[in-house]
Amino acid sequence: MSTSSTQLVAVLTTLRDVLHDTELPLQVPGAEDARGLRREMVGQLEDYVLPRLTQIDAPLLTVVGGSTGAGKSTLVNTLVGAGVSETGVLRPTTRTPVLVHHPADAGWFETDRILPDLPRTTGAGGSGAGSLRLVATTTQPVGLAILDAPDIDSVERGNRVLAAQLLAAADLWLFVTSAARYADQVPWDFLKQAAERSASLAVVLDRTPPAAVDEIAADLARMLTDRGLRDALLFTVTEGTVSDDGLLPAEAVAQVRSWLHSLAADAGARAAVVKQTLDGAVRSLARSTHHIADAAAAQSDMTARLRADVDAAYDEAVRQVDEASADGSLLRGEVLARWQEFVGTGELLRSLEMRVGWLRDRISGFLRGRPQQAEKVTVAVESGLESLILESAESAAERAAASWGSVEAGQRLVQDAGHDLSRASRDLRSQAERAVRDWQQDVLDMVRAEGADKRSTARFLALGVNGLSVALMVVVFAHTAGVTGAEAGIAGGSAVIGQKLLEAVFGDQAVRRLADAARRDLRARVEELMHGERARYVDVLQGLAPAPDTEERLRASARGIDDARLAGSPGDTA
Amino acid sequence: MVAGSRKRRARRTGSDVAARLDGLQVAVDAARGRLDDRLADDAAEVLERAGGRLRLSADHTVVALAGATGSGKSSLFNAISGLDLSAVGVRRPTTSTTMACVWGAEDAGALLDWLGVPKRHQVERESTLDEPDTSPDPSPDTVSGAPGEEDLHGLVLLDLPDHDSVEVSHHVEVDRLVAMADLLVWVLDPQKYADAALHERYLTPLRSHAQVMLVVLNQTDTVAADRFPGMLDDLRRILADDGLDGVTVLATSAATGAGMPALRQEVAARVAAKEALRARIRADAVAVAMRMRDANGDAHPGEVAVARSRKQELVDSFADAAAVPTVVRAVEASTLARARRATGWPLTAWLSKLRPDPLKRLHLGRGAGKELATLSRTSVPQASPVQRARVDSAVRAVSDDVSDGLTRPWAAAVRRASVSRLHDLHDALDTAVAGADLRADHTPLWWQAVRAVQRGLILVVLAGALWLGVLAVMGYLQLPAPGTPDFRGFPVPTLMLVGGVLVGVLLALGSRLLAGVGARAKARAVDRSLRTAIGEVTQSLVVEPIETEVAAYRSVREGLAAALG
Repeated sequence: MSTSSTQLVAVLTTLRDVLHDTELPLQVPGAEDARGLRREMVGQLEDYVLPRLTQIDAPLLTVVGGSTGAGKSTLVNTLVGAGVSETGVLRPTTRTPVLVHHPADAGWFETDRILPDLPRTTGAGGSGAGSLRLVATTTQPVGLAILDAPDIDSVERGNRVLAAQLLAAADLWLFVTSAARYADQVPWDFLKQAAERSASLAVVLDRTPPAAVDEIAADLARMLTDRGLRDALLFTVTEGTVSDDGLLPAEAVAQVRSWLHSLAADAGARAAVVKQTLDGAVRSLARSTHHIADAAAAQSDMTARLRADVDAAYDEAVRQVDEASADGSLLRGEVLARWQEFVGTGELLRSLEMRVGWLRDRISGFLRGRPQQAEKVTVAVESGLESLILESAESAAERAAASWGSVEAGQRLVQDAGHDLSRASRDLRSQAERAVRDWQQDVLDMVRAEGADKRSTARFLALGVNGLSVALMVVVFAHTAGVTGAEAGIAGGSAVIGQKLLEAVFGDQAVRRLADAARRDLRARVEELMHGERARYVDVLQGLAPAPDTEERLRASARGIDDARLAGSPGDTA
Repeated sequence: MVAGSRKRRARRTGSDVAARLDGLQVAVDAARGRLDDRLADDAAEVLERAGGRLRLSADHTVVALAGATGSGKSSLFNAISGLDLSAVGVRRPTTSTTMACVWGAEDAGALLDWLGVPKRHQVERESTLDEPDTSPDPSPDTVSGAPGEEDLHGLVLLDLPDHDSVEVSHHVEVDRLVAMADLLVWVLDPQKYADAALHERYLTPLRSHAQVMLVVLNQTDTVAADRFPGMLDDLRRILADDGLDGVTVLATSAATGAGMPALRQEVAARVAAKEALRARIRADAVAVAMRMRDANGDAHPGEVAVARSRKQELVDSFADAAAVPTVVRAVEASTLARARRATGWPLTAWLSKLRPDPLKRLHLGRGAGKELATLSRTSVPQASPVQRARVDSAVRAVSDDVSDGLTRPWAAAVRRASVSRLHDLHDALDTAVAGADLRADHTPLWWQAVRAVQRGLILVVLAGALWLGVLAVMGYLQLPAPGTPDFRGFPVPTLMLVGGVLVGVLLALGSRLLAGVGARAKARAVDRSLRTAIGEVTQSLVVEPIETEVAAYRSVREGLAAALG
């Protein structure tokens, strides 16, 4: 084994590993094809390219493939001279692939050197599907094995997949078609693949009425030439009577048999066949790797896009709550009414803004009689904040689901998520309730801690911890009210009262600090809630994106393959 | 009753198909834009095809021979027609254009045009009774057929190209005609009867069409007689896997003629019954209607409606957003202020004019008049984010309620509809509030009466004061005092002055109490009328769009029920 081929094996092994890890789960355009291609590539690497590169002297594997009913098994039986593969009129006939080899070659095939995922059986009878039956017979020349593959086009999907896998593992394709089949589309799709990979190919035109042999063979040869398969050998086998063992008369396949035997006898010719197929396979792998790299990049882009959609939706939700809880709009309606009841009548407030000192006394008088008013403001604040948070989360979920729904990949994810992503989670209401209550509790604690040394002052006693924390909330809610203009006027006015009240107790530095802390606290809680909501989407995306360097590693592998091939080719041809 | 009897009659006269198609049409119209449009397109295609076919000759039955390349479609075609019309050969694919053969004298030209079979392949076969010269379309290629074909009268036999060769144009032609033919004859052969190209692409999707299909296993001469029954069983098994257990399977050999009479007889029977055309259309309609029903779901329409309690929640949240409580409070305060001004003691009542009218602050009512108010914007505060959030969740609750039990596309359609007009929310609410009659100018009669009394009392007070003044001046000037009448010992002028003031103030206080009651009652009335106006807003912005969707759902469901029979 030359150094260049060692290098090639190393690169291809890396490629296999990277491909193995590159799942392409998102339904982006072309992903279906890319997934199929990746599966084929991994299969071909494991089933054929890597084993063949490491053991270049292994016997030549000829895979007999083709349509159902074209006579593959009969052909194999006749070539071998014994009924090794079941024949019949029921379609599809062959369901278990049969590998016929000389006993001396048994060592090459009994191990899982090639086609490692197919268990081997050696029994004569039909065995379980999904296994590979080995038949050793001395009529088969040493150094050349024949594999009878299932059909490529019957209703049995499993057969079709297996046949494709087997053909990908072949050193030499012996493609069987018939007079009725030779213009079918499905076989030609396979032949097109063979042409792309420049696999060594021989076509057998089977089951041909003797009278029509020349006409059909000419037509088929023309089609092969049209499709870039000019070099393919073309054999014809006329339709004949099949013996009870499932054999054609030996002379019908004499041409094919003698060609195969001469190939088996000539090591140089055999090596040339192997080299052509192997080279073609490696070349097509390098080419296909770029497609997979593109697909991986598309997956990364799609994941990033979906993630950005979710982030945009929930960032907007956080922003909405943040804004609404700072510009004084929370202070309208219910909260304002309760607050005004708390500090006195609205009329009073408006007329007395300038006379805060008098007002304070007035308020104290009010409060002493009605301590439960503070509680009412708290409740109103709670319900207002809660509605705000809930609706923001609902509309964020709806926006995120809508933007995911605009691409197929996202649509699939939303459908398969198990729960309805387009709605906020069920327990969000209780979570929001708890978050708002916790926040209020924190505000209360803050005020209590701040007022620890002022506990005995008359004003502190007059308002109580509850009253002061309510005032602090009102100040928080009117944080930006000053700049939002006229509509926040009333709210702003209310906040000014709250501010003066607090300043009278704590001093203005402390009030600003307290308000900032309470605001940050509220924001953090809202962010946490939204983070939980966002996580439902993010979890769905989890693990879907390929590793960040996948694309780069794939392209590096493709370059590595090309380098190794260029380095290797002069030596090999010499 | 009437509908029922019409339905029965329709069935008797064979327009059962027409009723199904009408139902499908209703369903398609209502489903478009709501269910998957591809589905609606498919159904519309079925309708268009059915309409096209039904307009044309119902006396003809279009029978298409379809199958893989090399299965012997053309040989069968020739064997049935008894003529060497279709080219038979060993090269694949042999037939590249569709060939038609028409039995009977009726002109099938329009039908063949509709099928898109080129004229030159039309072969009109005359019945024995007709003169060859009277052929309606004596094109050069027209061939007069052999006699004795009475049993096939009305048959239009098509020989389709293959569906599995490398010639893609053939597949396109097959797909087109398979969708149009009345009766499909699938020609299979021993080599290809299990091909995925046939079963997965054609037979499985057509599993609802077993009634209008025949499966013919041709080339039986190539299989040993003892193996043949097993093959036929195998074919039946695969067909059953496709979902076609009821389909008629025949075995023929165009080469030896075996099975040909049976095939011919089967085709003749179908042609004579003239049922294939309707059966095909029915099968198409049912197949597409089933697919639509899967997407549509089958929730009972009775369960799909906007609940009354939800409507109330909706109105409450909208009223909140429209600041109805603010307006109502302003109405009460304004009424009270005006009542004080009208019924208060005139000497102090003017003071209240210094305070602004709360309604005017909102740019509502009071002198502007209803018409003017609707033109100008009110200054009712805009809905705050919290109120807006409550509106949104009330709307969401309604759409959730309605779409409970509906399939995903319908739920999405309802949701879309529920918010489709919400961008007008503020304008609509503003208009509703501005347009509502707050009766701000209304002055109750008793106010006027009290005002008149107050004015009278002021006059009395003034008269008393004047009187006392005159008396005082006369006393000052030492003029003899004229006698003042007295009432129970009190001099009348003093009584007029003091009593007038006293009664006036008492009357003002009493009226104030009464005005408070009146203002509250008025506030309640205004609240009611505002909520009624807002109820109309919710109706037009939310409930109506949703109900349109519900009605569409009902149409689709009923239409599909009719299409499915």
